[in-house]
Amino acid sequence: MFLKKLATAVVVTSIASGAWAGCAFENGTELKTLTAGFDSWKAVTSAMAECGNVTSTLDQDFKDVQADAFAANPSLYQIGGVNNSAFSILVNAGTIRPLDDLVAKYGSHLKPSQLIKVNGQTMAIAMQVNNQHLMYREDVFKELRIPEPKTHADMVAAAAKIAKYTSLSVAATPIGGTYAAGWNLGEEFVNNYLGNGGEFFGEGNAPSINNATGVATLNTMKDLAAYMDPEYLVSESTYVQQQFQQGKIAMATLWATRAAAMDNAEESTVVGKVKMASAPMGSTRAAATNWWDGVVLAANMTDEQADAAFRVVMEGIDTEMVLANNDAAVWLVDGYVAGSAAQGALDTATNGAAPYPSSLAGMGAMHSALGNGVGAFLTGEKDAATALADIEAAYIIAATESGLM
Amino acid sequence: MKDKNLIQLPFALRLSSYFFLVFWCLVAAFPIFWISVMSVKLPIDAFNSSPLNVIFGPETLNQNKGLSFIDITLGLSIILFTAKLSTGWLVRMVSRYSPDGYQWFGWVIGAMTFGLSFIIIFFGIMPSALSLLNDISGPLGNNILGFSTEHYATVWFEKGFIKNFQNSLMVTTGVVTISLTFGTLAGYGLARSGSNLAFWILIIALVFRALPHSVLVTGYLPFFMNSAEILRPIFGDAAPTLYGMPWATIAVLVAINQPFTIWMLRSFFQSIPSELDEAARVDGCSHFQAFRRVIMPVMWPGVITTGLFSFLLAYNDFLVTSLLLEAQNTTMVPAIAGMFNMETTTTDQVIAVAAAVSIIAPLFFLVMFFQRQIVSGLTAGAVKG
Amino acid sequence: MNQKTFFAFIGPSVLMMVLFIALPLATVLKQSFYINQPIYETLEVETCTPTFTGQVCSVDLKTVPVIGENGKVLKKNEFVGLLNYQNVIEYPRVIAAFADKSWRQFMTIDFWKALRFTLSFTLITLPLVLLFGLLIALCINNAAKSIRGPVIFVSLLPMIITPVIGALSIRWLFIGDGILTSFLEWWFAKDIAMFAQAWTIEFMMMMYRVWHVAPFAAIVFYAGLQTVNQDTVESAIIDGANRWEKLRYVLLPHLMPLIVFVTLIHLMDSYRVFEEVVGFSSQAYVISLQWLTYDFLMVDQSGNRSISRASASAMLTMIGIVLLLIPVLKGVWRDYKDKRL
Repeated sequence: MFLKKLATAVVVTSIASGAWAGCAFENGTELKTLTAGFDSWKAVTSAMAECGNVTSTLDQDFKDVQADAFAANPSLYQIGGVNNSAFSILVNAGTIRPLDDLVAKYGSHLKPSQLIKVNGQTMAIAMQVNNQHLMYREDVFKELRIPEPKTHADMVAAAAKIAKYTSLSVAATPIGGTYAAGWNLGEEFVNNYLGNGGEFFGEGNAPSINNATGVATLNTMKDLAAYMDPEYLVSESTYVQQQFQQGKIAMATLWATRAAAMDNAEESTVVGKVKMASAPMGSTRAAATNWWDGVVLAANMTDEQADAAFRVVMEGIDTEMVLANNDAAVWLVDGYVAGSAAQGALDTATNGAAPYPSSLAGMGAMHSALGNGVGAFLTGEKDAATALADIEAAYIIAATESGLM
Repeated sequence: MKDKNLIQLPFALRLSSYFFLVFWCLVAAFPIFWISVMSVKLPIDAFNSSPLNVIFGPETLNQNKGLSFIDITLGLSIILFTAKLSTGWLVRMVSRYSPDGYQWFGWVIGAMTFGLSFIIIFFGIMPSALSLLNDISGPLGNNILGFSTEHYATVWFEKGFIKNFQNSLMVTTGVVTISLTFGTLAGYGLARSGSNLAFWILIIALVFRALPHSVLVTGYLPFFMNSAEILRPIFGDAAPTLYGMPWATIAVLVAINQPFTIWMLRSFFQSIPSELDEAARVDGCSHFQAFRRVIMPVMWPGVITTGLFSFLLAYNDFLVTSLLLEAQNTTMVPAIAGMFNMETTTTDQVIAVAAAVSIIAPLFFLVMFFQRQIVSGLTAGAVKG
Repeated sequence: MNQKTFFAFIGPSVLMMVLFIALPLATVLKQSFYINQPIYETLEVETCTPTFTGQVCSVDLKTVPVIGENGKVLKKNEFVGLLNYQNVIEYPRVIAAFADKSWRQFMTIDFWKALRFTLSFTLITLPLVLLFGLLIALCINNAAKSIRGPVIFVSLLPMIITPVIGALSIRWLFIGDGILTSFLEWWFAKDIAMFAQAWTIEFMMMMYRVWHVAPFAAIVFYAGLQTVNQDTVESAIIDGANRWEKLRYVLLPHLMPLIVFVTLIHLMDSYRVFEEVVGFSSQAYVISLQWLTYDFLMVDQSGNRSISRASASAMLTMIGIVLLLIPVLKGVWRDYKDKRL
């Protein structure tokens, strides 16, 4: 059995590197890709691999290594998968190449919204959009006659009501949150702060979060955290997804790409019971940020390599791939049909969710400072104003060190 | 040797001593045992809050993935038999048949053939034989313990752990060979020279051993990143980028390893009487020839022991390898840290557990085969150092 | 052995150590007084990005790095004196905390939090390691010969296991509804979340470190117990010493050099505590000095590594370990001088 599997694996690997079954052309150039690790990237990189000679590295921590890998000469990877913030980093470093001529040659079928342009030059091809939206247990809410939560206050009220019915499995910790210290916690703050109409920076990249909006955002987060699993500071998206699947939470704001997992019969005990809804409204707009994911090509490679790489990318994000993986993401590609899993993302966008402000030069440092500093407020170590002041101080140190201020 | 205790312990003290040993063995082995058990169950069983469910794996059994009584008894007996064989018969065969002076070659061949035949028998022939037996033996052949190797298959084949394993192998082999080469030379020199300089080098090495590795990586990270520009005047356009390359990591790990290696080898060399190489030098050998022809053959046990600890340091390293190796060249330990961030399902978590068990499995065998060397290494360093 | 041969033998090893330990150390020291940063300019940039409803283009004033002629970002290296150290120590916040007389406030500053944890981790685990090591060694010594082999085998396992994996296995046992947390919850009949507060995480880390290092101490002490001078033991018994006095006056003095050795190794290793913080993902609650340097070295959200602050933090960590080692080194120097005289 084991030997058979081993043999099969060896055969499959050798075939996969040479097969061009679903690909329109046979790729002869050695190409390497570096992307994130979630399902849509798995689909895209498999489609790319069908062209042959493509080695893919899928790493959720790709941002840690991408900047330096692309800065190497020749670049360690030819094709890169990016989201808004990773894209800003590469664009600012000048390590990705403009794609206009390649788009004219091979990409005439691309939708205009897929072309990410900076100063008129196409620098990336987007393939999907993503945001965080509300997911909740429709069955529990219907049974207890609670209306769909539209704001965070609604969520807290619903949680208070659910908590009283201690026989329910969701009663102990009705709310789930991706509050893991670091990137996730920072992202939660960014979502809620933008939802309340806040601005992150003032003149010359100076921070401006220590204000009434910031305090209100922190307090909302704390109110929600009161109904969460006490280990929320280590809860990232997988943990919250599992809590949903195991029937431990009744509502959470989760990434749209996780929606399909709720109906995965192999792992989920709540198939068909989770409804996708818009992210809760802050005082100004939906408390979520819009992200896009796409592909970039390295600058430090030969033009022949770039040519082959672009063709492979076109194969990777073509309609055929989308039809085979329709629910893996909210695709921007032709042929995508938005299913019920995508409804929450679309509603959030309709409710005015802002795009993630990755092009603001200080956003990276601010996000890091937030991820490290909000936790102290939630655990009660500091009050809101002190926490925000300390976050601003940490940001100022990082920004001065990197030359932004 | 006589028993060291001249007073017989009173029964109560002896009993509590045994109880404590049992308690300690349980505590020592429990986490390892537990994650091994978790790694062969379906995710629903593996993360169950009831321990019995984790051990017996009802959901896994429901999917007909399990071990029957026959499987367990036969499997365990073969494993025990192999263990006894390897420590007894294999040792005798290797020492009898390996050519003189090339003991290590005999060991390599012997270990490889032994390992290969074990894998073929245990993973190839046994499963078919067992399924046959299970079919004929009725109730004894029913699955009682949930068992599924699918996670290991996923880790090694789908997630490409084979590549990480190859990288680990490459890095550790490089580190051990270079480390031992430099270390034996230095250890011999330091052991035979009584000068003040030797003493100061040892003290400085001790201080170096104390340095946190992050301090060192901070020093060469900028250099490795920009190595292409820095080396361009010398190598022209062929200047390599050292960031992410295994050779750079090997060099760093060898250097970090040196202080510990030279201390250990020096204490081993000191235990060899200097009359031995003095006699060789009287016979006309240079220092180096005396070292190679007379001392090294006697030193093999010490070299193996130090090599073991070098191997452990390179194999278990996380900080240096995570900061200096890029994704294609990652070794196993940073890869597992990355697996957490690749989790998108509960299955992925159990896959990470399976990866963890895969990483420590070779170490388990290492302790089994080299227990004596490890103990002597720890004590030699302590008693003589 | 003459000088030339001596240098030939130790040459390669010393060269490696100089290249990869001494030189980087010197570089870190120098780098800690400089800041290396890109040069920025403010430009109007037009960006077009996709949204759910289509493409949106906007023109904004943005701060972007200046890209030089060779296609790389222009950087400058400035001498800033002690600024990096000030940024790591966060002197103004220290003063503020002292003014408010608040230990909690003081502990919210990263560097001091890391220092406090590193020191308490090192100093608390030390006696525990020695105690357990001694206990295990004595018990193995008193056990029947036949079971000593297997017991030593099992005892070696915690020591050999990769530290990251070991920490991970403890994490899987305790996090959320892990098996051991469920057991504790059943025993104490209340809800327990081991990863929800700092002190339980620190406690688990210390327990993990003792689990990991006790075998090392145990094997070393066990070997030492084999070499106890039987005559001394006999005369002690003849003089009427009971078990505890035998332990205190014969065994412990004999083991003293080994105890010093284990202490030295343990101090050096536990001061570098790092893998536990990674394995337990505890950075929101508990951080160590080496983890702080590592964090500065890791790329942040804007793609930068804070090399300057990492250098300053690394030097401060180094000073700490040198201070810790001074008493031991003094002892070694005294021993050596005595031997020479």
